[in-house]
Amino acid sequence: MAAKRSSRKGKKTARQPAKAKKKTQDHHEFVSEAEEILERMLEDLSDLQEQRHASTEVDPDLVNRIFRSAHSLKGLAGMFGLDAIGELAHHLEDILDGLRLGRISMASPAIALLDDGVSLLATMMTRLERGNALDDDDAEAARAFIAQIAEAVQEPVAPTDDVLDGLEIDSSLRRALTEYEEHRLRENLSRGRHIVLVDSIFDITAFEEGLSDLSAAVREIGEVISTLPSPGDAPESQIRFSLLAATEIDPDRLGERLDHPNTNVECVHHATGGASEVPATADTNAEAEPTAAAASQSEPTAEAAEGNPAEPASPSQVESPDIESLRSISETVRVDIRKLDELMNLVGELVIQRNAIASVANRLSGDAQTVRIGAELNKAHKTLDRKLKELQSGVLDVRMVPLRQIFEKLSRVVRRLRRELDKDVELEFKGADTELDKLIVEQLVDPLVHLVRNSLDHALESAEDRRAAGKAPIGKIRISAFQRGNHVVIEVEDDGRGMDVEAIRAKGVARGLIGENENLSRGDILNLVFEAGLSTCKEVSSTSGRGVGMDVVRSNLSEMGGIVDLDSASGRGTTVTITLPITLAIIQALIVRIGEERFAIPLNSVLETMAILPEQIGHSEGREILNLRGEPLLLRRLSDEFDIEGSSRDERQFVVVLGMGEQRLGLIVDRFEGQQDTVIKPIKGPIQAIRGISGATELGDRTAILVIDVSAIVADALRRREAA
Amino acid sequence: MSESPEEAAETTGEWTDVARQAANEFDAGTDEEGSELLRELLVFGLDDGLYAIAVERVREIVRYRELTAVPRSPDWMLGVIALRGEVVEVVDLRSRLGLATGETDRSSRIIVLHGDAERVTGILVDSVSVVHRASEQNMMPAQGIELSAVVETCRWGDEFISVIDPDMALGFQNV
Repeated sequence: MAAKRSSRKGKKTARQPAKAKKKTQDHHEFVSEAEEILERMLEDLSDLQEQRHASTEVDPDLVNRIFRSAHSLKGLAGMFGLDAIGELAHHLEDILDGLRLGRISMASPAIALLDDGVSLLATMMTRLERGNALDDDDAEAARAFIAQIAEAVQEPVAPTDDVLDGLEIDSSLRRALTEYEEHRLRENLSRGRHIVLVDSIFDITAFEEGLSDLSAAVREIGEVISTLPSPGDAPESQIRFSLLAATEIDPDRLGERLDHPNTNVECVHHATGGASEVPATADTNAEAEPTAAAASQSEPTAEAAEGNPAEPASPSQVESPDIESLRSISETVRVDIRKLDELMNLVGELVIQRNAIASVANRLSGDAQTVRIGAELNKAHKTLDRKLKELQSGVLDVRMVPLRQIFEKLSRVVRRLRRELDKDVELEFKGADTELDKLIVEQLVDPLVHLVRNSLDHALESAEDRRAAGKAPIGKIRISAFQRGNHVVIEVEDDGRGMDVEAIRAKGVARGLIGENENLSRGDILNLVFEAGLSTCKEVSSTSGRGVGMDVVRSNLSEMGGIVDLDSASGRGTTVTITLPITLAIIQALIVRIGEERFAIPLNSVLETMAILPEQIGHSEGREILNLRGEPLLLRRLSDEFDIEGSSRDERQFVVVLGMGEQRLGLIVDRFEGQQDTVIKPIKGPIQAIRGISGATELGDRTAILVIDVSAIVADALRRREAA
Repeated sequence: MSESPEEAAETTGEWTDVARQAANEFDAGTDEEGSELLRELLVFGLDDGLYAIAVERVREIVRYRELTAVPRSPDWMLGVIALRGEVVEVVDLRSRLGLATGETDRSSRIIVLHGDAERVTGILVDSVSVVHRASEQNMMPAQGIELSAVVETCRWGDEFISVIDPDMALGFQNV
């Protein structure tokens, strides 16, 4: 009885979270699909903005593509019952529809809203991805945004109907044009292009192929505005089509270019001629009748077009390039990053097991009786090691994503800021193909956005100030990324006003971060801006100073094992250099021992290791220092740091030289125990909060070993020096 | 690396639901068929005393293994162990209960408990005996005030078991 009861109870309690999980699962499905759409939208939007900015003609296909993306997103959101997202996508779709139909001009402020809308969508998706449901706040945000759209879209549409009246096209043909086609016709007229009507007769059994060939040929010389069937006088088992097209090539010469059988080109609007009085006709085929006649005598044209207005056009629109791109999409697989994490963990466990095998092999080799088995095991271990490394780098490779996606986010942020601050800026990216672990890329966004904001808001001067200083009126921010060994370096560079070293020193003294007469290098002083409480901005604006300071930038980066450095020349600009490990998943660590305890130090922050004699240690202001090739190196004993009894100080000492950016510290330990690949596990619990420990890892012998948080240890030691 | 607050809140929320539901069932005292509900307690020993923790909170029980000490941590934090690739903190229940320091031997066990969010914490005990199904009639509020983590007492034949509130014992709230 009891067993039965308890099992029922178990089921009951389990049901609730299972349901919640199902929902998150659904949302994951939505997010993974929607993300793809959103990414494409972002890319296209950024192209659109570029084309607008360069004031070239915006590619109509681009607008159509974004429109379709918004439409798919709307449908997808509807399927998953995500109303807020659906509504939002619906209204974005409205703007885009207005743009493609020419109801909204490319100069409209509504376009700027597209960026914001997509950002809002991205925010909502992030929330879903984290397993949270959308709440009233989201719905409210969507509503507020939609209201904004409604306001921006209300602009008078210039009446431009008369332009089309001057065209030599049959009224029935004109009536058959959809709103979009009409808009394209107007747009091409306003761009001063010739408008031609390409008329052709196809065999009914093979017309699809023939029509798509012809469309492709016309597309090469211009734009196909509309494809209309004209059933008029076509002989039995043949079908006649008219293609309304715009081109910059002289219509008189089109005949040669469009060398298709049974095809007739008629010019309905000659651009250079100024008007349509001179309709030039080029017959490639004598037997074909002039289209205008065909169109006029065939009264049912409009009807036929009504019956299937867009159908003939659509197959030709989905032409070969699209099919190719579809194929390339299907070759990539979207994988949930958590699955990769699991895989990575497995590889990590294997790495640990490999370490265990190595230690067994060594033990066997050490014993005379088993030395041969040991040697064999060692050989097997070597092979395993090699294959494991390949597996590891294979899995790591899958996790790598190019920085391009961050750069796109940044350029959106900058576009928005440019509006908010009314300050123009030239943004330059280099090394968008540089790859980093997906997890690092995710966490890199906030710090980078912060840095770019800082540059734009504080560092870059107004156009007048810049002119006065003899600089180009438009400021420049350059973000470049490149790989250096096992690290990726990202530089954020601006040509703004730079930082005043003396002002920072004064502030540092005032805040008690440094002593008044302390002898600090320029770099040391500049790096004070990463200390909490040292803000060099005079006022807090809505752009910067939203509670995230440079200290947060540094701690965010150091959480990822990254370091940040800053260099600045007053009046000439500031460069912030971020150095990040390529992956967090597996790191090389130096294992050190103090007394009975072992610790792991991430190798990426170890500059060198050395053994020194006690008499080499000098003293300055009560601190131990070492003369390292002429430079004083501050020493700190890990045994003091962690209050552990270490070995005698009169013997040979082992020093690990740690580097965090420009800062150096020599850490004295009892012994080095070699290097190992380790998988760092975060500790969830109070230990997480302990300063100086960043996590733990498991060694081959199944014991846990703590990983030292180098940035904290170095920062504390140097601060103590400063305080002394 | 740290999870976002929303994420933590979400998991906690889910977990609280489970706990609340379980609690409601206990409060009701009976199940749908009207028969008496029993509480399942994992009984373990510390010195000569018997203690217990609700089974629902127990994830697993492992043999005592060597702990890795954590510098700069409070005294009651014994250290961490590696458990199938996971790192688990182990808390000294003795010191949380105000008992004298003890020795570890072959019967020593680490009881790994579910905490809030995804957190797990181990407690070191002298021995683990049985899972006891206690009826509500045998449960009574704890008497002593000095052992604040002991919230209830359960009569078990001639003996008494001190039922521990793991959250209070592990100091989840006040770290």
